[in-house]
Amino acid sequence: MTQQPPSPNPAQPTASSTAIGDAVWDVHKPVGRRSLLLAALGALLGLAIAGYGLFTAQGTRTASVPAEDAALVNNIPVLRADLIAQVTALYSLPYSQTTRPQRQKVLDDMVREELYVQRGVEMGLPNDDIDVRQALVQATEGQIAQDATTAKPAEDELRGWYDAHRAKYATEGLMTLHEWRAPGGVDARRAVTALRNGASPAAAGLLTTGRVDDGEEFYFAAQEHLGKPVFAVALGLADGAISDPIQTPGGIHILQMVRNTRPVATPYAEARDQVLRDFLADKVARLQEGNQRFLKKRADIKIAPDLR
Amino acid sequence: MKPPRILARAATPRRLIWIIPLFILIVAVVSHGLRERAIAADVLRADPEAILGDPTLREAALAAGHPVYQQHCASCHGATGKGDRTLGVPDLTDDDHLYREGTVAQIEDIARYGIRAGNKHGWNLAVMPAYASKNPDAAEPLPPQTPAQIEVLTQFIHSFTAGVKDHATQQRGRDAYNKAGCWDCHGRDLGGDGAIGAPSLTDDIWLYGGTPADIRRSISRGRAGMSPAFARKLTPAQLRNVAVYVASLAPTQPDRK
Repeated sequence: MTQQPPSPNPAQPTASSTAIGDAVWDVHKPVGRRSLLLAALGALLGLAIAGYGLFTAQGTRTASVPAEDAALVNNIPVLRADLIAQVTALYSLPYSQTTRPQRQKVLDDMVREELYVQRGVEMGLPNDDIDVRQALVQATEGQIAQDATTAKPAEDELRGWYDAHRAKYATEGLMTLHEWRAPGGVDARRAVTALRNGASPAAAGLLTTGRVDDGEEFYFAAQEHLGKPVFAVALGLADGAISDPIQTPGGIHILQMVRNTRPVATPYAEARDQVLRDFLADKVARLQEGNQRFLKKRADIKIAPDLR
Repeated sequence: MKPPRILARAATPRRLIWIIPLFILIVAVVSHGLRERAIAADVLRADPEAILGDPTLREAALAAGHPVYQQHCASCHGATGKGDRTLGVPDLTDDDHLYREGTVAQIEDIARYGIRAGNKHGWNLAVMPAYASKNPDAAEPLPPQTPAQIEVLTQFIHSFTAGVKDHATQQRGRDAYNKAGCWDCHGRDLGGDGAIGAPSLTDDIWLYGGTPADIRRSISRGRAGMSPAFARKLTPAQLRNVAVYVASLAPTQPDRK
């Protein structure tokens, strides 16, 4: 191992240091000092970028109002876009046609609102005021919904959802029927036989109940009108069929089905908007549940012994 | 005062060959960045409706808005803004607007707060009830309609674009329209209401299609399209730029407010 002799005068550049100084600028020569210099430059640049980011990030206390804001109230922004929306809504004029005092009035109101909101938080109103609490709960839930809906689900996911819930996208069933009542003295069994043989209800001594005389109706409406037990019988009848006598609290009834149109599956392409809506609603519900579990998990909740 | 040694040494022609271009490049990059930043700030500070009329702001907003549109909006509205009837996604290239007049500020509001997206600032006032169901509207007690009533309404609404002039059909339809309470959202004149996103029923612009089958389905099953709220996902600058871009897709309206 050899040692370099020390320089006679460190203040004077030696031939070797001059050579190194020249080599720093010569990209064809490998010099350690160049690497250090470039690393230092890189570090400075990085610091500058980080500093810029730090002092201009959203929520950073700044002396100037960011371009997107109309005001900063204790560093909370009042959005310029919200100001424009409120000015145009209040005066029913395009923003460009509103006057400076009009804008100023709205901005003053918005600043006042922000001050009161901040004061309310200081005073602990989210703990005390029932309206504030409800609004906060809804807003938090809404925030989750917003986050969930900003990404459109893939077509495969939508189709998968549709396949798994196909019945939900069927059309509502339709039925047109008559409901007859067998008055006292009329043999309901004989009346049914007569109807099945083509006799008219009047000839068979039957009277209408009047519950389903409005013509074709949806299944849900028929169920509403007939009641669940009678509707269940109607559901099983084919076009033109006559039911057996049905014992009801109101007497013996007979159903004569004119037309029973079963629910039909809606093709995916036609139900796509509804599928998307339901898919997102389910996603939001799942996220709400997950969020609730997360909040409970990280919270320190103590329940009184007698209420556990 | 002597210059620092390193600078004195640097000032040789060989070194200057790459010091000067590097310096010029740095100055150019910094000045370009500052200028871009200033223009971006001007876009945010400007009256939104004036941006498309200012060549500098317009160019900057459109250039910045296009990629935002492609990334966040095109999946539903399509790359060219033509929309998607199967999802009720409106065509952004026509001059019909479901909500208000389609100004830049209004589009920006929709992009920020959404439609039925869970944000209370957004447009959440009304949905098209599903009249072929037991409870047509979750928010309001409305009576369901019978199949016959739905058919009358379907033919009535279709008659405007189909050019049907049968007076009896029209009268029957109008009675059903009034009785069902459709006027509450769509207006007595069927002209719609931009404040709640109720479309006009008499023009030939259809969000979900204008065939009798489409209309029947809208009345029977209801509609409630959704537009996401990007308030937490996009920056104010991105929201403004994309709003300007979307507004630029529609034909110019001289009477636009």
